[in-house]
Amino acid sequence: MNNTTPKQTHTGDRVRRSILTNMIIVPFIPFILAIGVGFYYFTTSLENNTTASMKRIVSDHRNMIESFLMERKADLEFVTNAFQYDEINQKETIDAIFENLKKQSGAFIDLGLFDPQGIHVRYSGKYELQGKTYADELWFKQVMQNGAYISDIFLGYRHLPHFVIAIKHGSGKNTWVLRATIDTLYFDRMISQVRIGKTGEAYILNKDGISQSERRSSNIQVMEKDPEFADFSKPEEAIHTFIKTDSSGIKYLYAVTWLKDKEWMLVVRQEKKDAYRFLYTAVYINLIIMILGVAVIIVVATFITDRILKQIEKLGREKENLGNQLIRAAQLAEIGEMAAGFAHEINNPLQIIKSEHALIETFLEDISHKIDEKGKRDLDEIEDSLGQIKIQVNRCSEITHAILRFGRKNEIRLETLNPCCVIPEIIHMIEKKAEVHGIEIIKQLSEDSPEFIGDTSQFQQVMLNLFNNAMDAITERHGSKGGMLKIETGMKDEKFLIVKITDNGAGISPENIGKIFSPFFTTKPVGKGTGLGLSVCYGIIESFGGTMEVTSEENAGAAFIISLPVITQ
Amino acid sequence: MEKLKMMLVDDEERYLQTTAKLIEKKGYEVLTAGSGEEALEKLRVQTVHVVVLDMKMPGMDGNETLKAIKAMYPLVEVIMLTGHATVDSAIDGLRNGAFDYLMKPADLDQILEKSLDAFEKRQRIEEKIRVAQMKIL
Repeated sequence: MNNTTPKQTHTGDRVRRSILTNMIIVPFIPFILAIGVGFYYFTTSLENNTTASMKRIVSDHRNMIESFLMERKADLEFVTNAFQYDEINQKETIDAIFENLKKQSGAFIDLGLFDPQGIHVRYSGKYELQGKTYADELWFKQVMQNGAYISDIFLGYRHLPHFVIAIKHGSGKNTWVLRATIDTLYFDRMISQVRIGKTGEAYILNKDGISQSERRSSNIQVMEKDPEFADFSKPEEAIHTFIKTDSSGIKYLYAVTWLKDKEWMLVVRQEKKDAYRFLYTAVYINLIIMILGVAVIIVVATFITDRILKQIEKLGREKENLGNQLIRAAQLAEIGEMAAGFAHEINNPLQIIKSEHALIETFLEDISHKIDEKGKRDLDEIEDSLGQIKIQVNRCSEITHAILRFGRKNEIRLETLNPCCVIPEIIHMIEKKAEVHGIEIIKQLSEDSPEFIGDTSQFQQVMLNLFNNAMDAITERHGSKGGMLKIETGMKDEKFLIVKITDNGAGISPENIGKIFSPFFTTKPVGKGTGLGLSVCYGIIESFGGTMEVTSEENAGAAFIISLPVITQ
Repeated sequence: MEKLKMMLVDDEERYLQTTAKLIEKKGYEVLTAGSGEEALEKLRVQTVHVVVLDMKMPGMDGNETLKAIKAMYPLVEVIMLTGHATVDSAIDGLRNGAFDYLMKPADLDQILEKSLDAFEKRQRIEEKIRVAQMKIL
C-alpha cells in the first residue's frame, strides 16, 4: 500500500530530520564532554608525569656525577695529604699509589706529579708523559690559582679526549701538583646509563656548549660543539625543563641542570614524540573511540528513527483505515435512514395510485357492457395498460419494502449459535430450489466448529441471501445442470469461526468486486434486485463482530468467507 | 341482516375519496375522516362497525386515535394501515386492541377482506351480548 502523497513525504522527511538530529545531538554532547574532560585530565597528568620523571632522572644523575667527581677529588686530596712530595717522586711509590687509586675507582687512567714550573716530574700510567712541561696548559694555571681543578675534556699531549682532576699542595717553592686523568669511557658509561624510552639520552656540555660525553644518538662527538646549546634557555633554578626543536625539525623535551659550579651542564633529552608516546597513543585511542562512538550513535539513531517512523506511518495508516471505515459506516447509516424515510413517503402516493387503479378498473367493467365491438378492442388496450400500472406499482412497493427492511431497526436477540445446528436448517430451506436447478450441495461442516454469538433470524437472512445469490450465479452460467454449491466451516487462529460459501457460478468481474457490498449496487436486470442484499449481510456480520470477504474469478465462481469471533471462556 | 358500515381515516384526501367510491360501489356504507379528531367526532354521531386507520397522520396519530376509539367505543373494530417503518407501532396498535394491520400500499380487496373479518367478529360479539341479555330477561 503506497498512497503517500508528496506532501506527506515532505512532512515525513521533516519529522525524520528532527528526530534524527535530536537522537544524534543528545547523546553526542555528554559523549564528547566525557571524552574531552577525561582526555584533558589524562594528558595533563601524563605530561606532568613525564616532566617529573625527567626531572628526577636529571636530579639523580647530577647527584651521582657530582659525588663521583667529589670522590675522585677526595681520593687525590687524601694522597696529597698523606704523602710528601719526595715520597711520591719515587717510581715505586707513585705506582703503588696509582694501583691503590685504581682499586678505589676504575676511572683513573694515570697519575702524575708536577713541580710548580709545570714540569711533569713523575708519572704512572701507560703514556710517555714524564718530563713534559704543562706551565701553559689551562688546567695547570687553574690549579695553581684555585688549589683544585676538574678540567673540561681536552686532547692534550696524548691527542685523546680526556679530563683531569688536579690538586695543589704546599705553598711557595714547595708547591706541587698531583694530577689524575679520568677515563672518559668510564665517565660516559656512567652518564649513558640514562635510557628513557627509545630516544631518551643524557649528556654533558660545558658552559660553552662543548660536548663532554658520548651520547646515545652520537650525532655529536665528544669535544664537538652542540649547535643547540646556544638556544638553550639557561636554568636559573636547579632543574629546568623546556621543549625545543632541533635543526632537523624534531621536537625534544629537555631537562637540564648545572654541574660543577656551572662549569658543566647535564642535559637529559627525549624526543617529544617518544616522551609523550603514551599521550599520543591516548590521542589515537581517543580519536578512534570518538569516531566509532559517533558512528555508533549515528547508526543507532538512524535505525531507531527508521523504526519510530515506520511505527508512526503504520499508526497513520491504521488511523486512515479506521477513518475510512467510520466514514463508510456513517455513510451507510445515513443512506439507510434516508432511504427508509424516502420509501415510507413513496408508499402513500403508491397507495393512492393503487386506489385510483382499482376505481378505474371497476368503472371500466361497468362501461364494458355498454360499448360496441370497436370500443371493446380499445378497452382491451386500456385494460392491458392498466395491468401494467398495477405491475409497476407492485414493483415500486417491493423496492420500498426492501429498503425499509434494510433500514429497519428491529430488536436483535443475540444468542449463542452453533453452526452445526443452524446451517443445516438454513440449507434445508433451499434444498428444494437447488434440486430444481440441478445444483449439488456439498456440506463440509466440521463437527468441532465453535459456537458464536448472533441473532438467529439475521444469520439466517445472511445465509439465505448468499445461497440465493450463489444459485442465481450458478443458473446464469450452467442453466439447470452441473451446478455446485459448497458450504464449509472451520477455525482460524482458535479465535474465529470461518464459514465459507463457494459456488461454481458466473463469478464477479474484477471491476465489480470492490463494489458488491455497497448499497444499491446490483448486476441483476432491472426489477430483479434492489442491490441491498449484500450490504445488509455485511452490516449484519459486522454487528456480530465479524468480517465478510469475497474472492472470485470471473466465469469460475465466487467464494464468500465469513469470519465470526468465537466465544471465549 | 345488518350491513357492514366502515370508516376510512387518512390524511390523504384523494385516497379517501377514491377508496370511499370503490367501497360504495362494492355495496358497503362508508364514512371518511381526514384526521383522528374528525373520526372521533363522526363516531360520536354515527354507528360504524370497522375503522381503517392510517398510522401516520398529522395531529392525533394512529395509535392515539386507536386508544381513544377503543376507550369510547370498545365494540368498534380497528384495522391499522401502516408503512413498513411503522410496523413497530402497528404492533403497539395490536396490543391496544386493533383487529389487524395492513401494509401500505394495500389492495382494496385486502382491505375489504380484513374489514369483513372484523365485521364478522363484531357481529359474533353482538350476538353474544344479545344472548346474554336474553338470559337476564
